[in-house]
Amino acid sequence: METKPERTALQDDYSYRAVDDYNTRTYLLPVLSDPERRSALIAEHRARPIYTAAQPGKPVPMDSPELARLLDRLRVVPQQGKHVIVETEPWREYRIGLLPGVRGTPVEVTEESYPSREDAEHAIFLKRLGALLEAYGIQDSSTGA
Amino acid sequence: MPTLGITGYSDRISARPGETVRFFVHSERGEAYRAHIVRLIHGDTDPNGPGYKEEEIDTAANGDYPGRPQPVHAGAYVFVPHDARFDLSSFTLTALVFPTTPAKGVQGILTKWSGPDETGYGLFIDEQGELALWIGRGAGSVERFASGKPLLRKVWYLIAASFDAASGHVRLFQEPVVTSTNAGHGMRLVHPIDDTTARLETDGSPRAPAANDCPVLMAAATRRARSGRTICGGHFAHVHAPLEIPEHEAKFNGRIERPAVANRVLDRAEIETVLRGPRPVAAELRPAVVAAWDFGANIVPHAASTRVLDDSLHHLHGHCINMPGRGMPGHNWTGDHMSFQAAPQEYAAIHFHDDAVDDARWDVDFELTVPAGLRSGVYAARLRLAGRETPDGEDYIPFVVRPPAGKPRAKIAVILPTASYMAYANENLSADAQVAQLLTGRVPLMQPGDLLLQEKDGYGYGTYSVHRDGWGVQVSSRLRPILNMRPKYTHVLSPSVWQLNADLHLTDWLEQLGFAFDVHTDEDLHREGVALLKQYRVALTCHHPEYCSEEMLDAYESYQQQGGRWLYLAANGFYWCTVFHPDNPALIEVRKGDNGTRAWTINPGEYCNAFDGKHGGLWRVRGRNMSKLTGVSFTSFGLTASSYYRRAPDSFRPECAWMFEGIGDDEPIGNFGLIGGGAAGLELDRYDLELGTPHHAFLLAHSEGHNDIFVTVSEESTFNARGYFAAGGTGDQNPFIRADIVYFKTPNDGAVFSASSMAWCGSLSHHDYDNTVSRLTANVIRGFLKDGPLP
Repeated sequence: METKPERTALQDDYSYRAVDDYNTRTYLLPVLSDPERRSALIAEHRARPIYTAAQPGKPVPMDSPELARLLDRLRVVPQQGKHVIVETEPWREYRIGLLPGVRGTPVEVTEESYPSREDAEHAIFLKRLGALLEAYGIQDSSTGA
Repeated sequence: MPTLGITGYSDRISARPGETVRFFVHSERGEAYRAHIVRLIHGDTDPNGPGYKEEEIDTAANGDYPGRPQPVHAGAYVFVPHDARFDLSSFTLTALVFPTTPAKGVQGILTKWSGPDETGYGLFIDEQGELALWIGRGAGSVERFASGKPLLRKVWYLIAASFDAASGHVRLFQEPVVTSTNAGHGMRLVHPIDDTTARLETDGSPRAPAANDCPVLMAAATRRARSGRTICGGHFAHVHAPLEIPEHEAKFNGRIERPAVANRVLDRAEIETVLRGPRPVAAELRPAVVAAWDFGANIVPHAASTRVLDDSLHHLHGHCINMPGRGMPGHNWTGDHMSFQAAPQEYAAIHFHDDAVDDARWDVDFELTVPAGLRSGVYAARLRLAGRETPDGEDYIPFVVRPPAGKPRAKIAVILPTASYMAYANENLSADAQVAQLLTGRVPLMQPGDLLLQEKDGYGYGTYSVHRDGWGVQVSSRLRPILNMRPKYTHVLSPSVWQLNADLHLTDWLEQLGFAFDVHTDEDLHREGVALLKQYRVALTCHHPEYCSEEMLDAYESYQQQGGRWLYLAANGFYWCTVFHPDNPALIEVRKGDNGTRAWTINPGEYCNAFDGKHGGLWRVRGRNMSKLTGVSFTSFGLTASSYYRRAPDSFRPECAWMFEGIGDDEPIGNFGLIGGGAAGLELDRYDLELGTPHHAFLLAHSEGHNDIFVTVSEESTFNARGYFAAGGTGDQNPFIRADIVYFKTPNDGAVFSASSMAWCGSLSHHDYDNTVSRLTANVIRGFLKDGPLP
C-alpha cells in the first residue's frame, strides 16, 4: 500500500490558528503581560464572574472591553479538555469537570469543588487564563502559570 | 457517581381520565426503584424563588419495581427480512454511495452479514476507509477484499463487488461520480482522481459464503438477527403485525442510492444498467436481479414513508429503522429543483446517521390509567432508585393530564409547547457546542442527566444538534428519554431554566392566584385544532412555543378570528415549520433552512420536509411570520442576565389603562425574576408594521438596558454592519434589541396580549407573587375572562 501523504497546512487549518495567534499577541498580550493590568482583570472577574441583571437608574453590568476580549478568547478553547461545572449537590456543591471532546465518553469529574456556580466560574477562568499565559510564556503566580 | 442512574419515557405525552399511559424505564445498574405519580407545581429549585413544589398523587401505578438496563440501539438503517433468495453463491452487490464519515471505522453499506459468527457477505467500508467485500464462511474463515484506495468524504461513488463461487474470482469497483452540483457543499473537483478510484480483480476461495438467517441491511450489519424488539403500526403503518428487527452494528453515515443484489457476476455495463438505467430494471437483467431498491419510488407527495420498495420481480421491500432522511439529493442532483416533489428522480437517496433514534423500543415497566376526577395539569412519574435521595438517583417522566373530552374544567387553557420540548431534546450543547459559552457568557452547568446523555451518545439528539457527520438533526422523537425535559433541570441556554421547567413558573403562578386552568399539549392542538381552543375564553402560551405545525397555526388564527382571547407570554414563538409525522405524532421534523437564528444550516437541495413535502425552515419564509399571530417578531437574543420594561404612551390610553391598575406611571416592570434577574430576557420580540403587526396594535411597554451579550437575529441580516440596523451591534448600542409588549383587538371581541420575552413568566412569583409582572398579567387575564367587549 502507498504511504499516505503528509497532511497539508490547509488540512490542518493553519491560518485560522495563525490569525487567532496574531490577534492574541496584538490585542491581549500587552494587557496580560502587564502585572498590574492583569491583576485588575482578575479582580474584575472575581467581583462579577457572570453578568447580573440591569436595574433602572444604574449602569448595565458589563465587562470592561479588555475583560470581554479575554473572555471571548477563553470561552472558545477547544471542547476536548474544556472545563465545565458539574452540579453534585444543587445550590451547595459544584465540581470542576473536563469534557472529553467526543460523544460517548464520560465527563471527567474532578474532586475540586466550590460552594457556588460563581466560585466555580472564577476558578475556571483562572485555569483558562493560566493556560493561555503559559502558552505565551508569561509567568503568573495567581493562576499558577 | 454524579451520573444519572435511572431514566425513562412514556408512550403518551398527554392523557384524559380513563386513558392509559405506559412507562418505560432504564436502570443503569439494574437497581430497583420506586415510582410515584406526582403533579408538578413548581420545578425551579432556585432558593430565591418559591422552590420546588410537587403533589404526590395516590394511584395504582405507585410502587416498587425491579430495575433493569434497557439500551437504545441508535443508528438508522434499512432492514429487509431474511429471504432464501438472498442465500447466494455467486453474486454482485452494487449501489451509489456518498460517505460522510469514511474514516470512522467499519461501516456496512449492503450486507447480509452476521457479525458474531462471521457468515454471509457484505459490502463495507473497512477500518482503512476503503471499500471492501467480505465473504464469511464461519468464524475465523473470512475473506476480505479491499479496494486499496480510501473513500473521500462527501463524494458520490459508484460501487460494486462481485464474487464467482465457481472460480473464486472477485471484482471490486470504486468509482467517483462527480458533477458540478451532486455533492452539495462537497468537492466538484476530485483531482488526482486516482487517489480514490479503484478497480480490483483478484481471486479468493472458490467456495460460497455460509448462509445465515440474518436480514439484508443497508447502512449497517447484523449483530443479532433477533433483538426481541418489533415494528408495527405508527410510523410503520404499512406493517400490520409485529415484525422483529435485528440488533445492528457497523453503522454507516452517509447516503445510499439504488442498492441492488444480483445472483451472478454482473459485468460493468450491466452494473451501470441496474444503477442508472430504466426502472424497473431492464427485462434481460430481471432473472439476475434478486432485489433492486428504488428509494425514489414513494417520495411524492411526501417522503415520510418508512417503506422502501424493491422493483425487482421479487418485491423484497424493506423498512427504514430510526428514521433516516428520505428524499435526499442523489448522485444525479442538478441543483435545478429544490424539492423532491418536482424531481423525485434526483432525490432518490436516503441519508443515514449512526446516532439517529426513532423509538427506544423498551419494554413496558408500569402503566397508569388516569383516575377519574384527576385535575388537569402537568404531571410526572417520579422514579427514585431504592434507598437513594441524591439527584443522580432520581428522574421524572412528565406528561399532561387533560380534562375529560368535551368537558373543560376551566375558562383558561394552557397549551404546553411539547413540540418545542421535542425540538430541544437532548441537545448536549454543554459538551458539543463551542459557541455555547459565547451565547451564554458563562461556563455550562452539567447535571446528572447531562452526564448520562454525554456518556451514552445513543439516546438520539434534537434539532439543536448535529449528527456525527455534521448534518443537522431534523427528526426528533419523544419515544426515548428526553433528559432536558425535566423539573429541577437547569438549561445550558438559560441562566436558570428553559422549556418545561420554565413553563412551570406559569402554571404555579396561575394556581397561586386562584386561576382555574386546563392543560393541553401541542400534539392535542395539532390533532383537534380550533375546536380545542374554542372551549376556552382565554388561551395562554408558555414561555417558548417556537416550534409549530401548520395545523396549530391554523387553530390559533381561527381562534383569534372567532373572538378568542390570547396571551402570548413568550418570545420567539411560532418560528419554525414543524411537521408531525403523518402516522405518528411522537416524531417531528424540522428543516432549519439557510435563514433564521439556527443551530445549523441546511445543505443544498434539502429544503423540503420529508414528512409533508412542503418547504421547511422559518414560517416567515412561507408568509406566516409570527407577528401576524402575535403582533411581534423575534428580534434579539442574549442567553444571559435579563432586564426590565418601561411603560410606553399607549399604556395610558383608555383602551389599555385598565391593564396597568396598581402599576405606577414611571414604575419599571419586571426588574426582578428567576430567569436572569429580570422579566425581559433570553429571547425578545418587537413590533414591526412591515412584518404583519396589525395596523391598530398598541405598544404598552418596551424593555431597555440589555447587555452586550444580546445580539440581533440573523434572519434580518443583510449587510453585517457595526452597531446599528438589524445585523449589527449588541444590547448596549442597537435599538432593535428590546422587547415590546403589544396589545391588539381581534374580531368578535377577541384580543391578543404579547409579552415578547422568554423571561416574563420567571418574574411572576417575585415578592410572594405580588409584583408588577404578576399584576399586569393578572389584570389582563381577569379583563379577558369578563364577558362583553373589551374597553
